[in-house]
This record gives sequence, structure tokens and C-alpha cells, in this order.
Amino acid sequence: MTSWRRLLPLVAAGTLLVAACGGGASPSPSSAPPASTAPGSETPSIEPVADVCSNPPKADGTTLTFSSYGGAYQEAQRKGWLEPYAALTGVTFQESEDSSNATIKAQVEGGQVTWDIVDVGNDFGLDAHADLLEPLDYTKIPKDEILDGFAGTYRVADITYGVVLGYNTEKTAGVPEGWADFFDTSKFPGKRGFWDYSAGGIFEFALLADGVAPADLYPLDLDRATAKLDTIKDDIVFWASGAESQDLLGKGEVAMAMIWNGRAYSAKHIDNKPVEIQWNGQIVTADYFVVPKGTPNKDAAMDFIAWASCKENNAAPSKYIPYGPTNKNATADPSTAADLSVSNINETSAYFDDAWVVENAQLLEDAYQEWKTR
Amino acid sequence: MRLLRPTTSGSGRRPRDGPIVNRWALLAIPPIAFLVAFFLVPLVVVSLRSVTDFPKPTGDAFANYGRFFASSANIRVLSNTFWVAGLSTVVCLALGYPYAYLMNIVRPRVAGLLLIAVLLPFWSSLLVRTYAWEVILRDTGIINSFLLGARIIDEPIPLIRTTLGVMLGMSQILLPFMVLPIYTVMRRIDPEYTRAAANLGASPFAAFRRVFLPLSLPGVIAGSLLVFVLALGFYITPALLGSPKDTMISQFIASAVQQRLDWGIGSTMAVILMGLTFVVLFVASRFIRLRDAFGSLEEG
Repeated sequence: MTSWRRLLPLVAAGTLLVAACGGGASPSPSSAPPASTAPGSETPSIEPVADVCSNPPKADGTTLTFSSYGGAYQEAQRKGWLEPYAALTGVTFQESEDSSNATIKAQVEGGQVTWDIVDVGNDFGLDAHADLLEPLDYTKIPKDEILDGFAGTYRVADITYGVVLGYNTEKTAGVPEGWADFFDTSKFPGKRGFWDYSAGGIFEFALLADGVAPADLYPLDLDRATAKLDTIKDDIVFWASGAESQDLLGKGEVAMAMIWNGRAYSAKHIDNKPVEIQWNGQIVTADYFVVPKGTPNKDAAMDFIAWASCKENNAAPSKYIPYGPTNKNATADPSTAADLSVSNINETSAYFDDAWVVENAQLLEDAYQEWKTR
Repeated sequence: MRLLRPTTSGSGRRPRDGPIVNRWALLAIPPIAFLVAFFLVPLVVVSLRSVTDFPKPTGDAFANYGRFFASSANIRVLSNTFWVAGLSTVVCLALGYPYAYLMNIVRPRVAGLLLIAVLLPFWSSLLVRTYAWEVILRDTGIINSFLLGARIIDEPIPLIRTTLGVMLGMSQILLPFMVLPIYTVMRRIDPEYTRAAANLGASPFAAFRRVFLPLSLPGVIAGSLLVFVLALGFYITPALLGSPKDTMISQFIASAVQQRLDWGIGSTMAVILMGLTFVVLFVASRFIRLRDAFGSLEEG
């Protein structure tokens, strides 16, 4: 009996590692917000917004921790937003490149909030996550100028992107016109790449392929979606990261893939691979800024988010990466304008219903795993 | 005997020999404190979470367990996890035993080289090695490109996204954990035993089967248990090299914790996996003496 107990240290069960990096963040000096109008007023006075945008409150000595997804993406955010904002206000940015919803939860529940501004995916920042996030200060952030549906109580979109049909032109004879062609492996032989995530779009694309109109996607008909997915199941390759999708499609391991438009762009323009995007049936979605609950730098974080949401500043990262603005009045950089999701919206474009998806996350996951592992 | 033992607590553990408190034992305090702080406490937290953390309020403490067993995919993947772990153990044993045997009979210099060869993979990360396998095995990978280029095949042979791919990836990573315990035990087997068996007329095979093999079994058991338990927690390798049918429970745990923020069900899966692992070890301990298996390592 005692012998097996000696094995205890060997039996490593899944342990949650919570990275608690000590950020030397000092409380922000209470920055005097410019005389703000009442929240939600339909005619925002021009003066305060212009002030936030061109002359944000000085905050020398404040350190803000900005967490995003690293790589070329975060570099675009750094060059477009962090560096100019630091020069304008005196804020020092500390960066983390491993944004994760789970880390936010761990920080807030553990009472050790070290991230001030976090770039998160579209599956986070909803009312379901109210316990983890600060409500955004829309007396500072120009909510009326943000694309409809992309500004919520706890999150505001910072960049838009498309989940698109990418195809390798050497492995695909002709041009696939949309998701129906993606699912037609007799017309277009070859493997298909899908993100291995129940809420990432796989069900939506199956339904679009099956003839469901973009506006009628929700609530998702999961039986219909899995039946459609069954028709190409043996040809599906699942990818787990953006880099992997770029590699699979670029090398031609798959002929077509569901892919984020920036990754398809990189496959073509950085890796010089024969990859093209079919914008028909794209899902237009976004990454969002959120502020973890309990950060000591809440006000300074709101000031930054307000500044980055202004039409003058919002499109700055598009100079470096084909991810687009979220402010209706912002002008994307000409170098990437044609490659942005928002520039390619047409009647076939769809949108996630993030609230429904998060509310039904367990349902989606069960249906997905039931189908996938069968 | 029992009655003769001192009944005072604490110091009464070692009544017969030596000082009551062995000072060297104090050296064990830091590692024990470490294990308690970073293993035992999180384990308790995870266990508690599985009966207290629910996405929707419920009066049933075992609601998460109900949720887990209500999904047939969970059961399928859980049993698949044990199947893949068992298969990895068999593959590692089939490769590892002859390898250890070879190490045991060659000259020490060669044995040293063989040891380095088996340890070499430890010097690069699991992730890097798994990606390397992906580059080798996939349809557009090294093997298929070569065979297609040489016109030996017309279609890529399915190497990746198969159980074969998972076995290649996992056994390469786990092999040292099989070879080292077996080799350690083999080194301690006196060569005179087999020579004596031969003197008494046993054929080389009979000498091996009836003398050497039984003596090496503790190493086989230790290695197999190590490999099996480690394999149960694999996550990246089956995800990258396997098909959906090779999905393992750790992938579900990661998805629950990281994507759905459903730490209740994630903890529940971890507890179930751990519980079943203990069951396996317990059953094993009914048939074999684990103390012998691992004790032999310490003495070797």
C-alpha cells in the first residue's frame, strides 16, 4: 500500500501555471479628463474628443502594461500606437506578448492584476465576463464612431480582421467562389484546413456552405452544420495556431483553409507563397481592448484606449499589417487598404454573434467534440 | 511487536536503530516543502474547484462530474487517452528492452555512446521535436516528397494525422524513460548467473528467458509505469501528429481552461484523469511490488 504512494510526485496532473510577473506599476496620477459630455449623448461635442485625440492627458511616471499576441501583430500595435502615445504623454509601456483570457481570469481571481490593457479575441469581453473586467469609460472613448456592434460595456474593438477562405493557387485549379466550393472536394480536390476551435467559425462556414444566409446564422443549427462537415471530414486538417495555418496553406499541405486574413497576407507577401483570399463569405470580426478589473491604472488605461480609438490614430497599425480600423471615420493606410477585411465587405459577409456563442460555449464544444472525435 | 512499540507520537517512528531523529532527514524538508507548496496545494485547489466552480449556479456539488459523463465525446477521449498511453508503453518497451540489452553487453565505451544517443533528444524541447516530426511526416514533408519525386508512389502515404504518427512522436520522446530504468537493473544482474545457467546446459535463449529476463523485470515494470503515466498527460504531440481519433483528454482540459474559461470542468477532467491513474497504479501494485521496481533504481 505504501509503495504506490511513493509514486505521487511522478503523477503529474494538469497544473495551472499562473504567471504572476511583478510589474512595477505605480498608481496613475489622476489625470483630469477633459470636460466630458454626458455619456451616450447623441451629438458628442467636438471639443473634448479632439482634445483626447490630439493632446491626451500627460502621465509622466505611469507605467502601463500592454498585453497582446506578440509577433508582427504586436509590433504593428507598438509602432502604430504605443510608441507615439508614449512620446505624447510620457507613459512607459511594459509589454507582454501572451495575451490570454485565462491569465486575465487568474490575475483578477488571485487579486494580482498586472495587465492594464489587454488585446483579446472576439470570444471575450462580454457580459458573461463582467466579473473580470472594468466597464469602459465612454465619456472618453468615442463610442458613436466605432463600427456598429463593435463597442460593448467591457470591450471596444481595436482592430478588425476577416476569417476568410484562403487557397493555394498551385493546389487549386480555378477560383473557389465561396464556402460551397470549399466543401466541394470533387470540384476542388485537396485537403482543407480548419481552426481547431468550436467557436472559431467552423460551424458558421459549414452553414454558409449549406446555403444559410449570413443574416440567418444564429442560433446555429448544429446538426445541420455537423452533417455538412461530415461530407469532407476525412479531408480536414485542423490547425491550432495562426502560424500553423499560414504554413499549411503556404506549403500546400492543404489546398484551402479557413484562415485569418493577415495570415493569408503573410503567406503571400512575406513567405512568397501562392496563396490568395476569396473574400466571399468572410466573417468580419475584431480583436478588442479590455481592462482587467482591479488594475490600479484604470484611468490611464482608459485614456490610452480613448486615444487609440480616435479616427486620427485608430488605423495606425494598418500601416504595418493588414488589420483594419474600427473607427468608422478612420482612414486605413493606402498600402494595405485593399487587403483589409473592412474594405471587402459585401452581401456575402457574415458576423459572429459573440454573445450567443459565449452563452452557448458548452453546447458548441460538446457538439464539436462529439462530431470531431467520432 | 506492536505493543512493544513506544506509543508516543512523532519520534516513535524508528524505535530500533540509530538516533531518534536522523539529522540528515532535515535535508528532506526543502523538497518536501516544495512539493507541498507547488504540488499538493494546487492539487487540493483543483480538486475543490471541481466541486465548487460552476458556470451556472447549481445545488449539486457533483454537477461538473455529471456534465463530464453526460458527453459521450468525453468518455471516448478518456478511454482513448489510456489506449494511446498503453500503446506508447508497448512500443517503448519493444524498442527499449533490446536497446538496453545491447547497452548491457557491449564494451563500456560503446555503451556510453549508446547512452548519449538515447539522451540526445532530451537536449531539444518537446515542441521543437514534434514540429520536426511534422516536417518529416506530412504529405508535403521530407519522406513523401522524396518518394513522390522518385516516382515510387503517386499519392502521399498517410504518415501524419495517423496513430502511427503519434506513436513515432511519443515513443521518441518517451524512450529514455524506458531505457534508463531497464539498463540500470540489467547492469546489476551478475553475468555469472547466465554463465552458470549455460554451464548447467541451458541454451542461450533458455538462459535468457529463465534467468536474465526475470531478473530484469523490475526495470521493465519501472520503465513501463514511468512511460505510461507520462504518456497520459501528452497534449501537443497527438494534437499535431494525430488524427481527431487520437485526441487525448489533456487537449480537452486545455480548451476548457484557456478558451471557455470553464475551470470547473477543466478541474473535473484533471481529477478524473488523476483518479484513474491512481487506480491503474493501485491495480499494478496488487500484482507487482512497486517498491522493488523503483527501489532497484535507487540502489543501482
